[in-house]
Amino acid sequence: MKPVFALVDCNNFFVSCERVFNPSLEGKPTIVLSSNDSCVVARSNEAKAIGVPMGIPAFKIRDMLRSNQVVQLSANFELYGNISKRIVAILTHITPRTEVYSVDESFLDLSQLGITDYTAWGKEVRTRILQEVGVPVSIGIAPSKTLAKLGAEQAKKQLEFEGIVNFFGMPPHTKEQLLHQTPIKSIWGVGRRLEPRLRAEGFGTARQLAAMRPQQAQQTMGITGRQLVSELNSISCHGMESLERVTKSIMRSRTFGEDTNQAHILEAAIASMATRATHSLRTHGLLARHIGFFVDTNRHKPGFRRWNYDLHLDMPTNDTGHIISLLVAKISDFYNPGHRYHRLGVYMDDFSPAFALQTDLLGYVDTAAHDKSQARMQAMDAINKRLGRGKIYFAAEDLSKSWQPKRTGQSPRYVSNWNELPVATIKG
Amino acid sequence: MLEEPREEGVSIHTGFPNPALDKSLDNLDLQQLLIPRPISSFLFRIAGDQWENAGIFNGDIAIIDRALSAGKQDIVVWWDETAGDFGVSHRKDMPEASTMWGVVTATIHQLRSPL
Repeated sequence: MKPVFALVDCNNFFVSCERVFNPSLEGKPTIVLSSNDSCVVARSNEAKAIGVPMGIPAFKIRDMLRSNQVVQLSANFELYGNISKRIVAILTHITPRTEVYSVDESFLDLSQLGITDYTAWGKEVRTRILQEVGVPVSIGIAPSKTLAKLGAEQAKKQLEFEGIVNFFGMPPHTKEQLLHQTPIKSIWGVGRRLEPRLRAEGFGTARQLAAMRPQQAQQTMGITGRQLVSELNSISCHGMESLERVTKSIMRSRTFGEDTNQAHILEAAIASMATRATHSLRTHGLLARHIGFFVDTNRHKPGFRRWNYDLHLDMPTNDTGHIISLLVAKISDFYNPGHRYHRLGVYMDDFSPAFALQTDLLGYVDTAAHDKSQARMQAMDAINKRLGRGKIYFAAEDLSKSWQPKRTGQSPRYVSNWNELPVATIKG
Repeated sequence: MLEEPREEGVSIHTGFPNPALDKSLDNLDLQQLLIPRPISSFLFRIAGDQWENAGIFNGDIAIIDRALSAGKQDIVVWWDETAGDFGVSHRKDMPEASTMWGVVTATIHQLRSPL
């Protein structure tokens, strides 16, 4: 089957999330600042046009921000995370072969969907995400991931593409032009380290890089460079990584407060560990086919023993109750009140995706393991932790007043706090 | 009694295991009734007391589904470009300078707040 990849990329994602709940920001230059160091982490198109650089500390461009009346917002990662999950849910409904690359980008493998008109498909997806979630996306569709990413990038920049760049059936001169318009630094996989070296050798654009001889590519950039050049020439070298990247196994274990010979304590431990392990399964959107548990006596005491019980299931599951009952039934196989049990663990592996079960907002695949996404997710966790305490709530009595957008500061937790829901005033 | 390993300063005591630990999952799920499409559904708070006769009160929660296309009689939430806030009305009463945000599928009026 010939490879077909789509990259669905949210436009100015954080700013777009803010605009969903605060449409007055539409058309205004807006930036989102990281909470800890106040660096620019997102820019609206208007802010980009003014020349606000990505990643710069806000104080360094204070005059530029002031003279252009740029709206500055502190990152509201709870909101962005929620919106991101909704978009991922839409995409995984379209195909389970979705790789969540970062909080605002996902690769889709379209090769098995029997799509005849990829551009029409892309427009439909774009319209659906815009209507249901309110966020504009750009989509690149290509025989390789590198080209799909390049396409999405250009779809974002060149308005005449209406958000979709589809390399299939594209006239050769259009492709040449797109590659020509892409500087090497915006190619997926060309990092800050490689760029100057490539420039020194006379390669400035994707078009020039695509024409590089394979041997030279390998000499300059190693095997990944050779693959990069192939990918630019529509030869796919990078497959979907979502399923490989997620957790391979889950284990939850506990040491008893004191060694025990009580069967009911073993049961309780199995129930509690299985509950936590299956919760983790569900948040990863996975089902397990292989489940088991182990029980140890104290390894530092004479007569150390371990028992292991494994079950291979016909039907993979992440059902807590089901798994508990299967495991608890095994206790009688080894239980002997003469032993002192010290530690118990429940483990699960042989995973498959649970896409068919994804009907609530909690169970979506959350596979993003890429650097960029990890950094953002860590920031998100840190911020959530900090905001969990001492954050001032909007008083319930103030609900009659609409929330007034502020020049700076963080937007309300519209989707994650009962006291900060957006307000709709009856007018009619 | 067991004590779980400490996590972030919290310890959980577990007694004899309940064989139907996930019993609550068997309950009817209000989300299933009220939010059948969670992807496109959002919650708003209603402000204003003009609709008390219609059973919609100040402070009620409104469930908005963005996936639905609005009929004339639907109650909808829209962005009021003049006032710079969200309005809620029948679709036919939307002013000129407004942008549709979503269709109100239900409002929730709590008699006693559990929060």
